[in-house]
Amino acid sequence: MMNLLNSIVFFASISSMVVMYFIIGDNRSDIEFHNGKAYLTAEKRELTELQPFTFENYLNGDWAKTFDLFVNDNFPHRETFMQWSVQLRKLRGIEVENQEKIVYLKPKKGEQPKFDEQGNPIEYLDEYDESYSNGLLILNGRVYPRSGGSPKLAANFARMVSDYAAQLAGEVRVLTAVPPLSSAFIPAAEYSHYNGQNQRSLEAIRNNLTNGAIFCDVFTELNNHAGEQLYFGTDHHWKPIGAYYAYVAFCKGAGFTPVPLEQMEKRTKTNFLGTMYQMTQDPSVKENPDVMDYYIPKVQTTAIRYGEFGFKGSAAKVFEHGCSGGATYSTFLGGDRPLMKITTNVKNGRKAVVIKNSMGNAFSVFLISHYEELWVVDLRYSKQNLIEIIRTNKINDLIFAPGMNHVMNPNTVNMMRRLGTQSGVYIPPKPKPVVDSTTVITDTIP
Amino acid sequence: MVFSSLTFIYVFLPLSLLFHYLSRNTLYRNIALTVFSLIFYAWGEPMWIILLLISSFYDYFNGILVERFHGTWKAKLFLILSVVGNLGILFAYKYGGFIWENIDWMLKNFNEWFNTSMETPFEKPTNTLPIGISFYTFQTISYVVDVYRGDVKAQRNPLNFLMFVSLFHQLVAGPIVRYVTIAEQIENRKVDWALISSGVGRFCFGLFKKVVVANIASELVDKYMIYTYHGDGNFDLSSYEAWFGIVMFSVQIYFDFSGYSDMAIGLGRMFGFKYDENFKHPYAAQSVGDFYRRWHISLGTFLRDYVYFPLGGGRKNRYRNVVIVWLLTGFWHGASWNFVLWGLYFGCFMVIEKLLEDVLKKTPRIIRHAYTLILIVFSRALFYFDTLYLSNPHFENSDFKYESDWSPLFGFIGNLFSSPNAVNPAFYGDLMMHVYFFILVILLCIPWDEIFTEENRFRLKVERVYYFAQPAVNFALLAIATTLLVNATHNPFIYFRF
Repeated sequence: MMNLLNSIVFFASISSMVVMYFIIGDNRSDIEFHNGKAYLTAEKRELTELQPFTFENYLNGDWAKTFDLFVNDNFPHRETFMQWSVQLRKLRGIEVENQEKIVYLKPKKGEQPKFDEQGNPIEYLDEYDESYSNGLLILNGRVYPRSGGSPKLAANFARMVSDYAAQLAGEVRVLTAVPPLSSAFIPAAEYSHYNGQNQRSLEAIRNNLTNGAIFCDVFTELNNHAGEQLYFGTDHHWKPIGAYYAYVAFCKGAGFTPVPLEQMEKRTKTNFLGTMYQMTQDPSVKENPDVMDYYIPKVQTTAIRYGEFGFKGSAAKVFEHGCSGGATYSTFLGGDRPLMKITTNVKNGRKAVVIKNSMGNAFSVFLISHYEELWVVDLRYSKQNLIEIIRTNKINDLIFAPGMNHVMNPNTVNMMRRLGTQSGVYIPPKPKPVVDSTTVITDTIP
Repeated sequence: MVFSSLTFIYVFLPLSLLFHYLSRNTLYRNIALTVFSLIFYAWGEPMWIILLLISSFYDYFNGILVERFHGTWKAKLFLILSVVGNLGILFAYKYGGFIWENIDWMLKNFNEWFNTSMETPFEKPTNTLPIGISFYTFQTISYVVDVYRGDVKAQRNPLNFLMFVSLFHQLVAGPIVRYVTIAEQIENRKVDWALISSGVGRFCFGLFKKVVVANIASELVDKYMIYTYHGDGNFDLSSYEAWFGIVMFSVQIYFDFSGYSDMAIGLGRMFGFKYDENFKHPYAAQSVGDFYRRWHISLGTFLRDYVYFPLGGGRKNRYRNVVIVWLLTGFWHGASWNFVLWGLYFGCFMVIEKLLEDVLKKTPRIIRHAYTLILIVFSRALFYFDTLYLSNPHFENSDFKYESDWSPLFGFIGNLFSSPNAVNPAFYGDLMMHVYFFILVILLCIPWDEIFTEENRFRLKVERVYYFAQPAVNFALLAIATTLLVNATHNPFIYFRF
């Protein structure tokens, strides 16, 4: 009797999921739709769809792999199971309060940047960041990279900036405003060496800048406020307040007067679990979601965003107030646009280009108080020619504001260098010459 | 396809059970099972199915011919053809690259010493290892040998033979099921609810062992078997952390492989097959010889019956035979000198044990157990590391990131008992965070069925309670495994690569 019951319960359990999948369908709380495509909200990625079955994709194994991903992504009540798994994993042992943990991430095979024939990177993949290769430290529910940069690699970045300064001498001012990694501000004495290491790395930029390029001392400004939460604990970006102090440092370097925070509109977003949580899936991180206070300068703006190539733009916003959940940081500029042009009502005639990665998004929005026109270039995605933008639009300031992780990565430094030389138009890859082996020349019979 | 995937548990398994039990007709059931087995094998890497089919039909005919010419030189010829053919496939796909590397290495050295310019006579094979090849080639060899010995009749129905070779329960990672074990069940298997129910229990338990124990242990292995250079001559791994990593790898490899075998045995029962056990609490072993009888039993018995006994067993050249069997056991696991050394290592200890048999018998159980466990754990390092080299990291090179080798185990890098960069508090945190997990591992390694024999009253009581609780217990095990699988990123079976 119990044997029969055991068998029936098991078979009913393993059969039920397929049935439930068809009952639930698209009626899920963990996905959202954009442009007709479904996205997993928490993981910020597209939901895997079932590939049409073809002999070719079956033979190369793609169909089976996608099918497995499809089953995983569409498992009934997936989000609930994910939450349960976090609780279940806690049962492994005793959580020690204030106990640090280290999580190691590994680069996924086959997810390396692609390079052209000259060895220049042509496609950026940020699935894995080199600055995480020493592991991530989790302390009191907050995540920090176990890296403090490298003076040697920072010097390489400074040389690239100096080359631009030489090339554009007399045309634009070139400035750098590079923030340290959050590891500089880990609130525990045993990690204080990261503070010094970050500082040494950034000092190496100052020491190697030539040709009149200006170094804005973001580190010192942030260090003066080290007791505040300058970076997110659940995400790899900084908080707007950290970006604001960097902006203050920038103003000091550029000779501007920073706008006080009190003169800006303050808004708040809560319950932000960002990329660091997604990567570590650590319960203590989940229990400490970030709160994001952000500040809106009282400046009227219009913005245009462009694709990777060309200058055919569409309307955009400097602040996307609707962003929430895992996408909270996309509040600034709406996320990583390849190229964005912001026009303001600050009629001072000054124009600037900011070269940045996502760290620069929260920083750039403060600059609108000082420029009539601001071009924001994402070093990873923009294929427009930087020199052309500068000369065509008579730019005054060229500001390099990438995160430290991109300063320390020779590939992304090469990408910044390439911004000034790339053609700016899409060149399709040359088709391989077709040799028609079936062509047979025969004598014609008269 | 792997057993511990949502696709297998929630799509493939219910469909295969449903189609298998649609009819009572054995022919229909065998067709259904063969079709599902081929789908299972072809999942992700369909090209290798051709090799499987060739191998199956090759030995199908060899079996028939060996039987037809029984007692003549022709039977021996077809037996040799079968063994050579199967080992040829195995060598071509599994050992080709290894052989090439060694010939190439020898020729390079020879050229250097004698100033010649010889080149390796063939190109380096670039084949990837077809999944399950080590298992199914041994199964078909055992079949033809058994037919030759007259232990079993040759299978005349090609469908039945293909089903025997391709049965998805044990095809890709064992146990090595011999034809003689299931010959009767292929043609006439009796299924009842007790057998299916015991299969369900065994499958759920195996799944739990794999997903809960092996996968969590693998996370710790990834963390403590790789060391990172932090500059200024500092590494983040101390020796005792590295040894902890090896212990966790010993846990991972046992629960991974035995979990798979449990699932295979359970699946077999669900479909009416009774496979032999492949593990009997190996970490409770009292000697290396005892360990050999408890670990990967199907490979051990295969080599015992087809290599050790024909060589003379314990009667003639006993020590040589023991070392040969262990060498082959090591070499079966992979094309690397590490595995050969692993086999030699155990072979030598087994010879020493035979020589010191009397001393070992007088040694207290706990010391014997500790000695065996230390030998086993140390041997796992030979399994884990790809090479025998110690790395020589260039400390001044800032690009050096992380490495995995023998160095930290013996304090060649880093510190023996402490490490910089605050890893030690994190290590303590990890130990505390996994303390219940360690208790679970110990409980699962204890041979309860040997402590409480079948007549034991306590055992009978527990079995009675389990009988009534089994639907709930198995549902809970399945639910726990599913919960972790939905959120899993790391889920390989180690023995897939052997």
